Amino acid sequence: MKPALPSRDETLQMARAGLQMVRTEVFPRAERVVAVARARWLFRGFRMGRDVAAYGPVAARNDGHAELGDKLTFLGGMLPTSVVCYEHARLLVGSETQFNYGVSVEAWESVQIGDRCMFASYVRVSDRDGQRIAPIIIEDDVWVAHGAILLPGVRIGARSVVSAGSIVSQDVPPDSLAMGNPARSMSLDLVARDATGT
Amino acid sequence: MRVPLMMMLGLGPTVARLKLRRCEAVGATPTVWGRVWIHGEGEIQVGDRVVFDARMAPIELHAQRGGRIVIEDDVTIEGGSSIEAQSCVTLGARSRLGMWCKLMDNMYHPVRGNRHERPQSVPLVVEEGVTVGSRSILLPGAHLQKGASVASGTVISRRIPPGVTVGGSPARVLRREVTR
Repeated sequence: MKPALPSRDETLQMARAGLQMVRTEVFPRAERVVAVARARWLFRGFRMGRDVAAYGPVAARNDGHAELGDKLTFLGGMLPTSVVCYEHARLLVGSETQFNYGVSVEAWESVQIGDRCMFASYVRVSDRDGQRIAPIIIEDDVWVAHGAILLPGVRIGARSVVSAGSIVSQDVPPDSLAMGNPARSMSLDLVARDATGT
Repeated sequence: MRVPLMMMLGLGPTVARLKLRRCEAVGATPTVWGRVWIHGEGEIQVGDRVVFDARMAPIELHAQRGGRIVIEDDVTIEGGSSIEAQSCVTLGARSRLGMWCKLMDNMYHPVRGNRHERPQSVPLVVEEGVTVGSRSILLPGAHLQKGASVASGTVISRRIPPGVTVGGSPARVLRREVTR
């Protein structure tokens, strides 16, 4: 006959399973809710799509015309991300774009960012460098890796990759890899080395 | 130069140990100035007399599940640098990391194909006596051999022979050690 109360081992197992579920299911969702609420507060001056989430501090300022798409993600980390749109400037960010910490996006005239882009930490996108102001266009599915700097007037083609630490001063065609200072582009089909670095 | 109060009181190593409590092993007399952000489920080993100088900007140590960061004796790490390990990152004895360095042993996104799956990681090794300048980026597969030095702002993803100075982007050899 089975006892009415679960045994000690069974209780422990159940408690462990419950804790596991809290850790994998409840915490991420709670974090997500907090992030969405934080983004709604931080980007209150922006025209914004649905489900924008800010998992960390973001210094956001909109004096011009800034528009954020749906499902953006701003991760938190060592430094705050900054998204600034100055007077009479235009800043468009497409949907499902992800920003790691420390990214700084500055629009003095016009910055356009496409859908599903990825920005790694410490990327700088600014359309003014002290001498000139020229619009920056980043098309869809672009991956900008750690510490890259995009100078004013560049256009980055769809599905391109800007490699870590590169300084982009000229246009990058679609489906290509830009690397170095100043950045040189090569077609992604010609890249022999895979992303593992071997 | 601003000296932290706790160090004036002689409590420097104790406070440093408290700040490094997430590490698996901490050697003798660690020095931590400022904030060190340690996260992830991997294991971090810190050797003797290691200096974390994070007064200007925090330092990030991120060892993900199954990853390992090994920091050997007499290493100095300056502020803003971040080390991310998926498999293994080793910093040899007496090496120095400048400000805003980034060491990662995984690219996190493949260049081709589905950008959301994670590529394989390659261990990153910095051997002893290596100097890494500020804002340089060590990508997966970087292997800095003994006594190499890296100028600031350099991106490296391959083996650098011993005693060589590299710099620029793309990286090239600036100087070789004169054999005597």
